[in-house]
Amino acid sequence: MKIGVFVCQCGENIGKTVDCVGVAKSCASIPGVAVSMEYKYMCSDPGQNLVKQAIADNGLDAVVVAACSPHMHEKTFRKAANGAGINPFLVEIANIREHVSWIHDDVPSGSLKATDLIRSAVEKVKNNAPLTTIKVPVTKRALVIGGGISGIQAALDIANAGYEVVLVEKEPSIGGHMSQLSETFPTLDCSQCILTPRMVEVYQHPKIKLLTYSEVEAVDGFIGNFKVKIRKKARSVIDEDCNGCGMCIQKCPTKKKAYSEFEEGMAFRPAIYVPFPQAVPNIPVIDRSVCTFYKTGKCKICETVCGRKAIDFMQEDTILEEEIGAIVVATGFKLYKITKPEPGSPYEGYGEYGYGEYKDVIDGLQFERMASASGPTAGEMKRPSDGKEPKKIVFIQCVGSRDESKGFSYCSKICCMYTAKHAMLYKHKVHDGEAYVFYMDIRSGGKMYEEFVRRGIEEDGAKYIRGRVSRLYEENGKIIVKGEDTLAGVPITIDADMVVLATAMVAQKEAPKLAQILGIPYDKHGFMSESHPKLKPVESSSGGIFLAGAANAPKDIPESVSMASAAAAKVMILFSSDILEREPVIAQVDESTCVGCFYCQKVCAYNAVERKEIKDRNGKLIKVVAYVNEGLCQGCGTCNATCPSKSVELIGFKDEQIFAQICALNEI
Amino acid sequence: MAELKEIAKELLTSGTVAYIIGYASEKNDKTVPFIARTVEDAEKLVFTHHSVNNLSVYLKRIKKPESGKVGLVVKGCDLKAVVALIQESQSKREDIYIISPKCNTVVSDNTKPWNKDNIASKCLSCEVRTPSLFDATFGEIETVELPSDEQIELIKKVEAMSTSEKWEFWKNEFEKCVKCYACRQACPLCYCDQCIVDKASPRWIDSSATVQGNFAWNMIRAFHLSGRCIGCEECNRVCPVDIPLSLLNRKMSMFAVSEYDYKAGTSIEEPTLVGTYKLTDNEDFIK
Repeated sequence: MKIGVFVCQCGENIGKTVDCVGVAKSCASIPGVAVSMEYKYMCSDPGQNLVKQAIADNGLDAVVVAACSPHMHEKTFRKAANGAGINPFLVEIANIREHVSWIHDDVPSGSLKATDLIRSAVEKVKNNAPLTTIKVPVTKRALVIGGGISGIQAALDIANAGYEVVLVEKEPSIGGHMSQLSETFPTLDCSQCILTPRMVEVYQHPKIKLLTYSEVEAVDGFIGNFKVKIRKKARSVIDEDCNGCGMCIQKCPTKKKAYSEFEEGMAFRPAIYVPFPQAVPNIPVIDRSVCTFYKTGKCKICETVCGRKAIDFMQEDTILEEEIGAIVVATGFKLYKITKPEPGSPYEGYGEYGYGEYKDVIDGLQFERMASASGPTAGEMKRPSDGKEPKKIVFIQCVGSRDESKGFSYCSKICCMYTAKHAMLYKHKVHDGEAYVFYMDIRSGGKMYEEFVRRGIEEDGAKYIRGRVSRLYEENGKIIVKGEDTLAGVPITIDADMVVLATAMVAQKEAPKLAQILGIPYDKHGFMSESHPKLKPVESSSGGIFLAGAANAPKDIPESVSMASAAAAKVMILFSSDILEREPVIAQVDESTCVGCFYCQKVCAYNAVERKEIKDRNGKLIKVVAYVNEGLCQGCGTCNATCPSKSVELIGFKDEQIFAQICALNEI
Repeated sequence: MAELKEIAKELLTSGTVAYIIGYASEKNDKTVPFIARTVEDAEKLVFTHHSVNNLSVYLKRIKKPESGKVGLVVKGCDLKAVVALIQESQSKREDIYIISPKCNTVVSDNTKPWNKDNIASKCLSCEVRTPSLFDATFGEIETVELPSDEQIELIKKVEAMSTSEKWEFWKNEFEKCVKCYACRQACPLCYCDQCIVDKASPRWIDSSATVQGNFAWNMIRAFHLSGRCIGCEECNRVCPVDIPLSLLNRKMSMFAVSEYDYKAGTSIEEPTLVGTYKLTDNEDFIK
């Protein structure tokens, strides 16, 4: 085997601490090395040509490039070598920058270490085998989980590119939190007015299969080839037969047994309901926990009044199976309920703010419903306790957010902006009212955001007080707010008519469970983790699964929409070819020695290990062994390390290769 | 004993089991592993204080019979190995007919009669003389007077040693090792077809007759059994040069209990200690 060694100076980066000329010279004498040279920038065009030329001139079989981390330029040199006729997997990188020059300052010893690493790489490449990429077919059909603005945007983008989409939403209607908002910052345009056209577009889109009141139950398979089980929960109303006339809802006698989830508990809804008038689809659902029929076996008024015979009390959940190529997770967020700590929760809650105890202490989403023209008060400011117009409102920011000891360490990001919006909306409706905002910092980074907050303060006269509130209590129909103005350095007491808490955005409760079903990581707060915070912000670490919106971290609408479009673009890239090519660095089981203890299966983070039955030619089972699904395996090597009989090896990093590499280091 | 024979006859006659792996008498009270295939064979089955061998070791070598289950006479202690084998996909619960006696301890030295001073060390801390998992059971529990647990005293003694003293202690013990691998053969949980120590390309484990080679084999085996060893002490019993292998295994088992609240071979449903994690797992070792 003829091997070429190419030592890169990386300008001063390597050249300063490694004697590259000397290293190249001493590497020339390593057995098997036919040519050894150095160059200022090996990754540059002339540098790559040097490699290609040397391959041609010397008839090289393999190449070792001593340069930066393989994360940087392994691809570059593989391509260059491939251009000169060498299999790309016969290229090895010796990392003499991150592992040598950047961490040592002594030239002689640094040079010695560089030579050792190169010798080690040469021994490995001698044991390398030419490999070809793995090709898997792609099902060009996307699953979008979550029908909020992120999911809607992602679904529409993918569908408009011509691919089929299955959109799954666990609530009876799509729309998510955005449909609950009154106006949106920083333009104060009506939220539903800009959202509902998108919702209708989803419903009418021929490429989108909309599954509301449904949840993802199981996900099998791998990038390009997922098999997804979706539970369509029993609506008790037959989708195809219902025309959405609403007669059932009008006649339902169970009117005041359930709080409306959409109205954030500020109004009642009947047992059979659609969440809100513009719901998509406009098909009601029966809440079996309050419906009289399910409790007493009598009533059936909805069935009687339904001209279409669409009510089906006996309806059961159905499981749908869908073939999917890519998944976008857009499950969004929920608001931190601050009444008291939930059992088992590490968070302490904010009992001292009296939420849930004092009727006139509400949270941000409740204020949105109050301010909304379609809300329970038809957009009029009426406080919950007595329906009077509040003349003085105190807004408290960072309730739960940025408070590691009691709540969450992170900033919920949207509260500064929506509180400013709330204060403005209030002032627009109650001209003689006073709006006080307790804040820690005003975080208004974003296009037109700072201007928006200034407008609230300067034009609409919202009074901002920098400081925290220590206590709230009720007195003579007022909520007495005790806090501190830290800029003036004085304690402050406000007798407010109503208090609005900007509570933290938290992950959906079921998010960790869904992440486990999908096999993607999530952080300690339950938000889905991106693959790289800067360079792969919409990818999960599992191939073919992408993230959009607040499922990933607190985000506002513009950000969620951008992320959804970005995720959609990633899906389209995946769908743009019929065949998916992957690195062949995956685990491989030696079936002759595998005893099927399946420890590899237990430790595999990607569910890539399956059970394979080995049978003789008469069909008699001989044994069951581990089998690696090459579509799912990410080549992390955990199974390799776990296998007690060393029956699993990583292609490209086989034991023989690693062993040769280690032995070469031992020769010093 | 009559009970055992009756159980065995009934199982063999009805075809519930293809055969029964049990114990038969040999001279001087000794018992040997015995496979009963017929009703006549069943007459030879015994269970005494000398039924020392952990018969679950045979599960790793047998193929599933054409019809019927494999009957296995197995003590409560050794039963843990059956559980571990099921946990590790080596056996299926439905393929084994477990005949587990109520056990009144077994001997330490099989050539001498059972008495207070001839009781196997694993019996001294036994919690499963009455088995909890079985298809059939027999016998009665009797009160047995137990000597003190010298093994645990020895573990404490080794724990108290300095690193260099420990090194010396084990170097001297391992020096006796002739790599006969009897420990591996007798261990029900050493079921790999190709032991890592036999893997020649590349040879990760140097098993030469050197200090390194002696340590490499014995320590690798201890590591491969950590969190898995069920404490049947067969390795200790079969070692021809009397290396106190149980010290290592028992120490590791104690560690599994103290750090992870895990006792190997307790429950078929329980996830194994190695290869799974709990959010409550102790992570003090990550510095």
